[in-house]
Amino acid sequence: MRGPSHTEPQGSPGTGEPGYRSGASAAREAALIARIANGDRRAFEELYNLYHRRLARFLTRLTRRYDIAEEVINDTFWIVWRKAGDFRGDSQPSTWILGIAYRRARNAFRASARMGAVENPDESLQPPTSEEPMRAEELRDWLVRALAHLPVEQRLAVELCYELGYSCEEIAAIMACPVNTVKTRLFHARAKLQKILPVLGGTAGSGERRGGK
Amino acid sequence: MMTVDERNEHQEVWLVLPWLASGRLDPSERERAEQHVRVCARCEEELALQQRMCGAFAEPDRVIYAPGPSFRKLMERIDAEAQADKRDVRAPQQPRLSPRGIAARLGHVALWRPPGAAWAASFLALFALTGLLTTAYRWSEPVYRTHTDSAEAIQNVLHIALDRSLTIAQVEELLRASGARVVEGPGSTGVFGVTPVGMQPGTSAVAVNRQLQRLATRLRADPRVLWVQPLAQDDTPVNQRAPAPPER
Repeated sequence: MRGPSHTEPQGSPGTGEPGYRSGASAAREAALIARIANGDRRAFEELYNLYHRRLARFLTRLTRRYDIAEEVINDTFWIVWRKAGDFRGDSQPSTWILGIAYRRARNAFRASARMGAVENPDESLQPPTSEEPMRAEELRDWLVRALAHLPVEQRLAVELCYELGYSCEEIAAIMACPVNTVKTRLFHARAKLQKILPVLGGTAGSGERRGGK
Repeated sequence: MMTVDERNEHQEVWLVLPWLASGRLDPSERERAEQHVRVCARCEEELALQQRMCGAFAEPDRVIYAPGPSFRKLMERIDAEAQADKRDVRAPQQPRLSPRGIAARLGHVALWRPPGAAWAASFLALFALTGLLTTAYRWSEPVYRTHTDSAEAIQNVLHIALDRSLTIAQVEELLRASGARVVEGPGSTGVFGVTPVGMQPGTSAVAVNRQLQRLATRLRADPRVLWVQPLAQDDTPVNQRAPAPPER
Protein backbone atom coordinates (compact mmCIF):
# COMPACT_ATOMS: atom_id res chain seq x y z
CA MET A 1 0.00 0.00 0.00
CA ARG A 2 2.81 2.41 0.88
CA GLY A 3 5.22 4.06 -1.43
CA PRO A 4 7.91 1.52 -1.99
CA SER A 5 5.70 -1.47 -1.38
CA HIS A 6 4.67 -1.69 -4.98
CA THR A 7 8.22 -2.53 -5.92
CA GLU A 8 9.39 -4.34 -2.84
CA PRO A 9 8.37 -7.46 -0.97
CA GLN A 10 4.99 -7.22 0.68
CA GLY A 11 4.42 -7.91 4.33
CA SER A 12 2.01 -10.37 5.77
CA PRO A 13 -1.41 -10.00 4.12
CA GLY A 14 -3.89 -8.18 6.24
CA THR A 15 -1.36 -6.83 8.71
CA GLY A 16 -0.87 -3.55 6.91
CA GLU A 17 2.85 -3.93 7.61
CA PRO A 18 4.98 -2.91 4.65
CA GLY A 19 7.36 -5.61 3.52
CA TYR A 20 10.49 -3.66 4.35
CA ARG A 21 9.47 -3.41 7.99
CA SER A 22 8.30 -6.95 8.55
CA GLY A 23 10.05 -8.96 11.24
CA ALA A 24 11.93 -11.09 8.73
CA SER A 25 13.06 -8.03 6.84
CA ALA A 26 14.22 -6.29 10.01
CA ALA A 27 16.22 -9.37 11.02
CA ARG A 28 17.79 -9.56 7.59
CA GLU A 29 18.71 -5.87 7.69
CA ALA A 30 20.16 -6.24 11.18
CA ALA A 31 22.30 -9.11 9.90
CA LEU A 32 23.47 -6.95 7.00
CA ILE A 33 24.41 -4.15 9.40
CA ALA A 34 26.41 -6.63 11.49
CA ARG A 35 28.31 -7.69 8.37
CA ILE A 36 28.85 -4.05 7.40
CA ALA A 37 30.39 -3.45 10.81
CA ASN A 38 33.03 -6.00 9.76
CA GLY A 39 33.68 -4.16 6.51
CA ASP A 40 31.56 -6.38 4.23
CA ARG A 41 31.04 -4.35 1.07
CA ARG A 42 28.57 -6.78 -0.46
CA ALA A 43 26.32 -6.45 2.56
CA PHE A 44 26.68 -2.70 2.32
CA GLU A 45 25.64 -2.67 -1.32
CA GLU A 46 22.68 -4.92 -0.57
CA LEU A 47 21.44 -2.63 2.19
CA TYR A 48 22.04 0.41 0.00
CA ASN A 49 19.94 -1.06 -2.78
CA LEU A 50 17.17 -1.92 -0.32
CA TYR A 51 16.87 1.68 0.77
CA HIS A 52 17.90 3.68 -2.26
CA ARG A 53 14.58 3.73 -4.04
CA ARG A 54 12.43 4.62 -1.08
CA LEU A 55 14.87 7.27 0.08
CA ALA A 56 15.29 8.70 -3.40
CA ARG A 57 11.55 8.98 -3.78
CA PHE A 58 11.05 10.49 -0.35
CA LEU A 59 13.92 12.93 -0.65
CA THR A 60 13.28 13.94 -4.24
CA ARG A 61 9.76 14.88 -3.29
CA LEU A 62 11.10 16.86 -0.39
CA THR A 63 13.84 18.71 -2.21
CA ARG A 64 12.51 18.47 -5.79
CA ARG A 65 16.08 17.80 -6.88
CA TYR A 66 17.64 14.40 -7.32
CA ASP A 67 21.22 15.65 -6.92
CA ILE A 68 20.42 16.91 -3.43
CA ALA A 69 18.51 13.72 -2.66
CA GLU A 70 21.44 11.61 -3.84
CA GLU A 71 23.80 13.60 -1.66
CA VAL A 72 21.59 13.04 1.36
CA ILE A 73 21.32 9.31 0.61
CA ASN A 74 25.07 8.96 0.31
CA ASP A 75 25.67 11.05 3.43
CA THR A 76 23.26 8.77 5.24
CA PHE A 77 24.95 5.58 4.09
CA TRP A 78 28.39 7.01 4.69
CA ILE A 79 27.33 7.29 8.34
CA VAL A 80 25.83 3.78 8.21
CA TRP A 81 29.19 2.46 6.94
CA ARG A 82 31.14 4.18 9.69
CA LYS A 83 28.69 3.63 12.55
CA ALA A 84 27.39 0.15 11.78
CA GLY A 85 29.40 -1.18 14.70
CA ASP A 86 27.47 1.12 17.05
CA PHE A 87 24.07 -0.26 16.02
CA ARG A 88 22.89 -2.36 18.96
CA GLY A 89 19.41 -3.24 17.68
CA ASP A 90 17.63 -1.02 20.19
CA SER A 91 15.47 0.19 17.31
CA GLN A 92 14.44 -1.25 13.99
CA PRO A 93 17.18 -0.95 11.35
CA SER A 94 14.82 1.10 9.15
CA THR A 95 14.10 3.51 12.02
CA TRP A 96 17.82 3.92 12.63
CA ILE A 97 18.59 4.54 8.97
CA LEU A 98 15.60 6.83 8.44
CA GLY A 99 16.57 8.74 11.57
CA ILE A 100 19.96 9.46 10.03
CA ALA A 101 18.37 10.31 6.68
CA TYR A 102 15.85 12.61 8.38
CA ARG A 103 18.56 14.66 10.08
CA ARG A 104 20.65 14.85 6.94
CA ALA A 105 17.61 15.76 4.86
CA ARG A 106 16.50 18.48 7.24
CA ASN A 107 19.97 20.02 7.27
CA ALA A 108 20.35 19.74 3.51
CA PHE A 109 16.92 21.21 2.96
CA ARG A 110 17.64 24.19 5.17
CA ALA A 111 21.05 24.74 3.60
CA SER A 112 19.56 24.50 0.11
CA ALA A 113 16.74 26.85 1.06
CA ARG A 114 19.27 29.40 2.28
CA MET A 115 21.13 29.12 -1.01
CA GLY A 116 17.89 29.33 -2.98
CA ALA A 117 18.43 25.87 -4.46
CA VAL A 118 15.07 24.56 -3.27
CA GLU A 119 12.06 25.50 -5.31
CA ASN A 120 9.97 28.22 -3.75
CA PRO A 121 6.33 27.46 -3.03
CA ASP A 122 4.19 27.98 -6.06
CA GLU A 123 2.05 30.94 -5.05
CA SER A 124 -0.12 30.49 -8.08
CA LEU A 125 -1.15 26.99 -7.06
CA GLN A 126 -4.79 26.82 -8.01
CA PRO A 127 -7.14 23.93 -7.44
CA PRO A 128 -8.31 22.20 -10.59
CA THR A 129 -11.50 23.58 -12.06
CA SER A 130 -12.77 20.32 -13.39
CA GLU A 131 -15.89 19.00 -11.71
CA GLU A 132 -14.68 15.44 -12.14
CA PRO A 133 -12.85 13.80 -9.22
CA MET A 134 -9.08 13.94 -9.52
CA ARG A 135 -7.34 10.80 -10.53
CA ALA A 136 -4.82 9.47 -7.98
CA GLU A 137 -1.92 10.44 -10.24
CA GLU A 138 -3.17 14.02 -10.56
CA LEU A 139 -3.83 14.21 -6.86
CA ARG A 140 -0.30 13.00 -6.18
CA ASP A 141 1.12 15.79 -8.37
CA TRP A 142 -0.99 18.36 -6.58
CA LEU A 143 0.01 17.06 -3.19
CA VAL A 144 3.67 17.18 -4.07
CA ARG A 145 3.33 20.80 -5.15
CA ALA A 146 1.25 21.63 -2.09
CA LEU A 147 3.87 20.14 0.20
CA ALA A 148 6.17 23.00 -0.73
CA HIS A 149 3.86 25.27 1.26
CA LEU A 150 4.47 23.41 4.49
CA PRO A 151 7.27 23.95 7.00
CA VAL A 152 10.00 21.35 6.59
CA GLU A 153 9.11 19.47 9.78
CA GLN A 154 5.50 19.10 8.67
CA ARG A 155 6.59 18.03 5.19
CA LEU A 156 8.82 15.35 6.64
CA ALA A 157 6.06 14.12 8.93
CA VAL A 158 3.67 13.89 5.95
CA GLU A 159 6.23 12.01 3.87
CA LEU A 160 7.08 9.59 6.66
CA CYS A 161 3.41 8.89 7.34
CA TYR A 162 1.80 8.78 3.89
CA GLU A 163 4.76 8.04 1.68
CA LEU A 164 6.80 5.64 3.78
CA GLY A 165 3.97 4.36 5.98
CA TYR A 166 5.62 4.68 9.38
CA SER A 167 3.56 4.51 12.56
CA CYS A 168 3.26 7.51 14.85
CA GLU A 169 5.72 5.98 17.32
CA GLU A 170 8.24 5.19 14.59
CA ILE A 171 8.05 8.72 13.24
CA ALA A 172 8.59 10.05 16.75
CA ALA A 173 11.71 7.89 17.01
CA ILE A 174 12.96 9.00 13.61
CA MET A 175 12.32 12.69 14.31
CA ALA A 176 13.51 12.35 17.91
CA CYS A 177 10.42 14.06 19.31
CA PRO A 178 7.38 13.10 21.42
CA VAL A 179 4.50 11.20 19.83
CA ASN A 180 2.13 14.09 20.48
CA THR A 181 4.43 16.41 18.55
CA VAL A 182 4.15 14.12 15.54
CA LYS A 183 0.35 14.12 15.81
CA THR A 184 0.31 17.90 16.11
CA ARG A 185 2.61 18.38 13.13
CA LEU A 186 0.45 16.15 11.01
CA PHE A 187 -2.73 17.81 12.23
CA HIS A 188 -1.48 21.22 11.09
CA ALA A 189 -0.16 19.79 7.84
CA ARG A 190 -3.51 18.18 7.07
CA ALA A 191 -5.37 21.39 7.81
CA LYS A 192 -3.03 23.39 5.59
CA LEU A 193 -3.20 20.91 2.73
CA GLN A 194 -6.97 20.91 2.81
CA LYS A 195 -6.97 24.67 2.80
CA ILE A 196 -4.69 24.70 -0.23
CA LEU A 197 -6.48 21.86 -1.90
CA PRO A 198 -10.13 21.93 -0.91
CA VAL A 199 -10.76 19.51 -3.74
CA LEU A 200 -9.09 16.91 -1.56
CA GLY A 201 -12.23 16.51 0.45
CA GLY A 202 -14.52 16.87 -2.49
CA THR A 203 -16.16 19.93 -0.95
CA ALA A 204 -14.29 23.18 -1.32
CA GLY A 205 -13.45 25.06 1.84
CA SER A 206 -14.48 22.35 4.23
CA GLY A 207 -10.96 21.62 5.40
CA GLU A 208 -9.74 22.71 8.79
CA ARG A 209 -13.00 23.17 10.61
CA ARG A 210 -13.73 19.53 10.13
CA GLY A 211 -11.35 18.71 12.93
CA GLY A 212 -14.05 19.59 15.38
CA LYS A 213 -11.77 21.88 17.33
CA MET B 1 -24.54 18.16 21.02
CA MET B 2 -21.41 16.21 22.06
CA THR B 3 -20.44 15.71 25.66
CA VAL B 4 -16.94 16.62 26.85
CA ASP B 5 -15.91 12.96 26.78
CA GLU B 6 -17.27 12.53 23.28
CA ARG B 7 -15.48 15.66 22.10
CA ASN B 8 -12.21 14.50 23.63
CA GLU B 9 -12.55 11.13 22.01
CA HIS B 10 -13.39 12.72 18.69
CA GLN B 11 -10.28 14.91 18.84
CA GLU B 12 -8.07 12.00 19.80
CA VAL B 13 -9.37 9.85 16.98
CA TRP B 14 -9.10 12.76 14.55
CA LEU B 15 -5.39 13.01 15.29
CA VAL B 16 -4.69 9.36 14.51
CA LEU B 17 -6.81 9.03 11.36
CA PRO B 18 -3.75 9.10 9.03
CA TRP B 19 -2.44 5.95 10.67
CA LEU B 20 -5.86 4.34 10.72
CA ALA B 21 -5.91 4.95 6.96
CA SER B 22 -2.42 3.56 6.45
CA GLY B 23 -3.07 0.53 8.68
CA ARG B 24 -0.23 1.51 11.05
CA LEU B 25 -2.31 2.18 14.14
CA ASP B 26 -1.70 0.16 17.29
CA PRO B 27 -4.36 -2.63 17.48
CA SER B 28 -5.89 -1.42 20.75
CA GLU B 29 -6.09 2.15 19.50
CA ARG B 30 -7.37 1.01 16.13
CA GLU B 31 -10.33 -0.76 17.66
CA ARG B 32 -11.36 2.34 19.58
CA ALA B 33 -10.88 4.57 16.51
CA GLU B 34 -12.90 2.27 14.29
CA GLN B 35 -15.75 2.25 16.79
CA HIS B 36 -15.75 6.04 16.83
CA VAL B 37 -15.58 6.35 13.06
CA ARG B 38 -18.66 4.16 12.73
CA VAL B 39 -20.74 6.69 14.66
CA CYS B 40 -18.96 9.96 13.64
CA ALA B 41 -19.76 11.25 10.15
CA ARG B 42 -16.94 13.80 10.16
CA CYS B 43 -14.33 11.24 11.10
CA GLU B 44 -15.71 8.84 8.53
CA GLU B 45 -15.40 11.51 5.85
CA GLU B 46 -11.89 12.42 7.02
CA LEU B 47 -10.84 8.78 7.01
CA ALA B 48 -11.93 8.50 3.39
CA LEU B 49 -9.86 11.59 2.59
CA GLN B 50 -6.84 10.15 4.38
CA GLN B 51 -7.18 6.94 2.43
CA ARG B 52 -7.20 8.96 -0.81
CA MET B 53 -4.04 10.72 0.29
CA CYS B 54 -2.38 7.43 1.11
CA GLY B 55 -3.37 6.13 -2.32
CA ALA B 56 -2.06 9.26 -4.01
CA PHE B 57 1.33 9.05 -2.31
CA ALA B 58 1.54 5.38 -3.20
CA GLU B 59 1.26 6.12 -6.90
CA PRO B 60 4.29 4.73 -8.76
CA ASP B 61 7.02 7.16 -9.68
CA ARG B 62 7.38 8.34 -13.21
CA VAL B 63 11.14 8.32 -12.79
CA ILE B 64 12.99 5.59 -10.97
CA TYR B 65 16.61 6.25 -10.16
CA ALA B 66 19.00 3.34 -10.40
CA PRO B 67 21.11 2.94 -7.26
CA GLY B 68 24.27 1.74 -9.04
CA PRO B 69 25.86 5.07 -10.03
CA SER B 70 25.09 6.62 -6.65
CA PHE B 71 26.56 3.63 -4.84
CA ARG B 72 29.75 3.83 -6.92
CA LYS B 73 30.10 7.50 -5.98
CA LEU B 74 29.67 6.62 -2.34
CA MET B 75 32.31 3.88 -2.49
CA GLU B 76 34.75 6.23 -4.22
CA ARG B 77 34.23 8.67 -1.38
CA ILE B 78 34.70 5.98 1.27
CA ASP B 79 37.85 4.67 -0.42
CA ALA B 80 39.27 8.17 -0.78
CA GLU B 81 38.68 8.87 2.89
CA ALA B 82 40.22 5.54 3.86
CA GLN B 83 43.35 6.49 1.87
CA ALA B 84 43.41 9.89 3.55
CA ASP B 85 43.09 8.23 6.96
CA LYS B 86 46.04 5.96 6.16
CA ARG B 87 48.11 8.96 5.14
CA ASP B 88 47.19 10.72 8.38
CA VAL B 89 48.28 7.68 10.38
CA ARG B 90 51.59 7.48 8.53
CA ALA B 91 52.33 11.17 8.68
CA PRO B 92 53.72 11.30 12.24
CA GLN B 93 56.11 8.43 11.47
CA GLN B 94 59.56 8.86 9.91
CA PRO B 95 59.02 9.66 6.26
CA ARG B 96 60.14 7.02 3.86
CA LEU B 97 63.37 8.16 2.23
CA SER B 98 64.33 7.69 -1.34
CA PRO B 99 67.98 6.78 -2.14
CA ARG B 100 68.48 10.41 -3.07
CA GLY B 101 67.10 11.52 0.24
CA ILE B 102 69.35 9.13 2.14
CA ALA B 103 72.39 10.41 0.24
CA ALA B 104 71.41 13.96 0.96
CA ARG B 105 71.00 13.12 4.63
CA LEU B 106 74.39 11.45 4.87
CA GLY B 107 76.22 14.07 2.84
CA HIS B 108 74.59 17.21 4.08
CA VAL B 109 73.78 17.15 7.74
CA ALA B 110 72.75 20.77 7.47
CA LEU B 111 69.69 19.62 5.53
CA TRP B 112 68.17 18.52 8.81
CA ARG B 113 66.45 21.39 10.42
CA PRO B 114 64.92 20.57 13.77
CA PRO B 115 61.71 22.36 14.63
CA GLY B 116 61.59 24.96 17.38
CA ALA B 117 60.55 22.48 20.04
CA ALA B 118 63.50 20.26 19.17
CA TRP B 119 65.86 23.20 19.53
CA ALA B 120 64.45 24.00 22.94
CA ALA B 121 64.66 20.37 24.06
CA SER B 122 68.26 20.09 22.83
CA PHE B 123 69.26 23.23 24.70
CA LEU B 124 67.68 22.01 27.94
CA ALA B 125 69.31 18.59 27.57
CA LEU B 126 72.73 20.21 27.05
CA PHE B 127 72.23 22.47 30.05
CA ALA B 128 71.22 19.53 32.26
CA LEU B 129 74.17 17.44 31.06
CA THR B 130 76.63 20.23 31.84
CA GLY B 131 75.23 20.57 35.35
CA LEU B 132 75.37 16.83 35.89
CA LEU B 133 79.01 16.57 34.79
CA THR B 134 80.04 19.48 37.00
CA THR B 135 78.32 17.93 40.00
CA ALA B 136 79.86 14.52 39.29
CA TYR B 137 83.33 16.08 39.05
CA ARG B 138 82.85 17.83 42.38
CA TRP B 139 81.69 14.62 44.00
CA SER B 140 84.69 12.74 42.63
CA GLU B 141 87.14 15.23 44.25
CA PRO B 142 88.28 14.60 47.90
CA VAL B 143 86.67 16.83 50.44
CA TYR B 144 89.17 18.88 52.46
CA ARG B 145 88.53 20.87 55.57
CA THR B 146 91.02 23.20 57.16
CA HIS B 147 91.70 23.02 60.88
CA THR B 148 91.43 26.73 61.23
CA ASP B 149 88.32 28.48 60.16
CA SER B 150 89.19 32.04 61.09
CA ALA B 151 89.05 34.34 58.18
CA GLU B 152 91.93 36.37 59.50
CA ALA B 153 94.84 34.36 60.89
CA ILE B 154 96.74 35.62 63.92
CA GLN B 155 100.41 36.23 63.30
CA ASN B 156 103.07 33.78 64.69
CA VAL B 157 100.65 31.13 65.93
CA LEU B 158 101.27 27.39 65.93
CA HIS B 159 98.16 25.23 65.40
CA ILE B 160 97.81 22.00 67.31
CA ALA B 161 95.16 19.33 67.89
CA LEU B 162 94.88 17.60 71.27
CA ASP B 163 93.32 14.37 72.34
CA ARG B 164 89.68 15.23 72.97
CA SER B 165 89.43 12.96 75.98
CA LEU B 166 91.73 15.28 77.94
CA THR B 167 90.24 17.26 80.77
CA ILE B 168 90.74 20.97 81.09
CA ALA B 169 93.20 20.43 83.88
CA GLN B 170 95.21 17.98 81.76
CA VAL B 171 95.23 20.44 78.86
CA GLU B 172 96.44 23.17 81.17
CA GLU B 173 99.17 20.89 82.52
CA LEU B 174 100.22 19.88 78.99
CA LEU B 175 100.43 23.49 77.78
CA ARG B 176 102.31 24.59 80.91
CA ALA B 177 104.81 21.76 80.54
CA SER B 178 105.50 22.53 76.90
CA GLY B 179 105.68 26.29 77.43
CA ALA B 180 102.68 27.20 75.27
CA ARG B 181 99.76 29.45 75.78
CA VAL B 182 96.50 29.41 73.87
CA VAL B 183 95.90 32.49 71.75
CA GLU B 184 93.26 31.10 69.40
CA GLY B 185 90.52 28.51 69.40
CA PRO B 186 89.46 25.94 69.89
CA GLY B 187 87.90 26.01 66.43
CA SER B 188 85.02 23.90 65.15
CA THR B 189 87.51 21.10 64.52
CA GLY B 190 89.04 21.31 68.01
CA VAL B 191 92.28 22.96 66.90
CA PHE B 192 94.02 25.46 69.14
CA GLY B 193 96.39 28.19 68.20
CA VAL B 194 99.32 28.48 70.61
CA THR B 195 102.42 30.62 70.97
CA PRO B 196 105.55 30.14 73.05
CA VAL B 197 105.24 31.61 76.54
CA GLY B 198 107.32 34.70 76.91
CA MET B 199 107.45 35.70 73.28
CA GLN B 200 107.67 39.48 73.23
CA PRO B 201 106.19 41.80 70.69
CA GLY B 202 108.74 43.18 68.28
CA THR B 203 110.77 39.99 68.27
CA SER B 204 112.37 39.41 64.93
CA ALA B 205 110.80 36.95 62.57
CA VAL B 206 113.81 34.70 62.68
CA ALA B 207 113.73 34.55 66.47
CA VAL B 208 109.95 33.91 66.46
CA ASN B 209 110.37 31.09 64.04
CA ARG B 210 113.04 29.49 66.15
CA GLN B 211 110.85 29.67 69.21
CA LEU B 212 107.95 28.12 67.30
CA GLN B 213 110.24 25.34 66.05
CA ARG B 214 111.24 24.51 69.57
CA LEU B 215 107.66 24.62 70.81
CA ALA B 216 106.55 22.32 67.99
CA THR B 217 109.30 19.85 68.90
CA ARG B 218 108.16 19.77 72.55
CA LEU B 219 104.53 19.31 71.62
CA ARG B 220 105.27 16.51 69.16
CA ALA B 221 107.04 14.67 71.93
CA ASP B 222 103.85 14.52 73.97
CA PRO B 223 101.60 11.60 72.85
CA ARG B 224 98.48 13.53 73.88
CA VAL B 225 99.14 15.98 71.08
CA LEU B 226 97.61 14.46 67.97
CA TRP B 227 98.80 16.94 65.43
CA VAL B 228 101.16 19.90 65.21
CA GLN B 229 101.25 22.27 62.30
CA PRO B 230 104.38 21.49 60.28
CA LEU B 231 106.88 24.28 60.00
CA ALA B 232 109.42 24.86 57.29
CA GLN B 233 113.03 24.88 58.25
CA ASP B 234 113.56 28.34 56.87
CA ASP B 235 113.11 31.62 58.57
CA THR B 236 109.85 32.60 56.94
CA PRO B 237 107.18 33.48 59.50
CA VAL B 238 104.61 30.73 60.01
CA ASN B 239 101.56 32.48 58.57
CA GLN B 240 103.38 33.62 55.48
CA ARG B 241 104.00 30.06 54.34
CA ALA B 242 101.75 27.48 52.88
CA PRO B 243 98.64 26.75 54.89
CA ALA B 244 98.37 23.79 57.16
CA PRO B 245 97.87 20.44 55.50
CA PRO B 246 94.27 19.64 55.02
CA GLU B 247 92.50 17.04 57.06
CA ARG B 248 90.54 14.57 55.11
